[in-house]
Amino acid sequence: MQEEQEFINHLLDPKTQNQAFQQLLQDYQRPLYNHIRNIVLNHDDADDVLQNTFIKIFQNLKNFKGESKLFSWMYRIATNEALTFLKQKSKTSGISSETLQNKTIDNLEADVFFDGNEIQIKLQKAIALLPEKQQLVFKMKYFQELKYEEISEILGTTVGGLKASYHLAVKKIEAFVSTN
Amino acid sequence: MKTFKLENEPKIETGFKTPDHYFENFSIKMMEQLPKNEPKVISIFQKRKTLIMMAAAVLILALMIPILSPSSTNTKELDAVALENYITYQSNVNQYDLISVLETEDINNIKTGIVLEDEAIEDHLSTNSNLENLILE
Repeated sequence: MQEEQEFINHLLDPKTQNQAFQQLLQDYQRPLYNHIRNIVLNHDDADDVLQNTFIKIFQNLKNFKGESKLFSWMYRIATNEALTFLKQKSKTSGISSETLQNKTIDNLEADVFFDGNEIQIKLQKAIALLPEKQQLVFKMKYFQELKYEEISEILGTTVGGLKASYHLAVKKIEAFVSTN
Repeated sequence: MKTFKLENEPKIETGFKTPDHYFENFSIKMMEQLPKNEPKVISIFQKRKTLIMMAAAVLILALMIPILSPSSTNTKELDAVALENYITYQSNVNQYDLISVLETEDINNIKTGIVLEDEAIEDHLSTNSNLENLILE
């Protein structure tokens, strides 16, 4: 925690800022990209959202109070950015967010940056049927293999609540894949 | 069809890929997008925006005072009542004062008013029980 505070100080000090931010990018761009990509599904959108996320992180570093870990704070920003992005996208295209998600999944098969087979597409379709919160929990737990404690700090939900959400999500996904 | 169990299956990966050297290029692109002064520029703009918004809000409020202020409308109503009371009970104005103020044209107008009401007078007189007494007198 002390190390982290030191790192944050480097990020805020104009002399060390550039180097520290480069380090931050090196450490977190991949996990944050994966997290965002799991939500928005296509590469170009993930790229946009990742840029906005790092700009937000950079601008808000001075307001970071250290109440949570830097890691979960950045994940929280990335989650909000990705969800806001999807809402705006569905609004501008005049379709519901569910329709948008299904459309994006249908486009995955033709996506050059998607290398998946039938079961992967089916899994994405099953996830799309879940409520937003269950989708997030499932993706963070199953794909990214985050710990419940980490997810709890990012989403602000109790570990018990997260376990219940994940369990429900798995049941619904298994039921969908078995019958389709 | 056999029941599908996530935990019995080998882990299903997302299948998401990125373009070659995406992350190397992303860091470079990102560092270029973060000039040192950028946050300051934004903060000044935001302050200016807030100032303009505040000025606009004050201006709108100021313009709405005469329309919306309940005290000013009340004052007007009170004035009318007070004036009436004053004329009725307090003032020295009597009918002769009023007549002296009237122009010839005003008097003519009053006359036509009376002429127009002739029929009404007739009706009134014919239904008046004292009519006979009046004629006798």
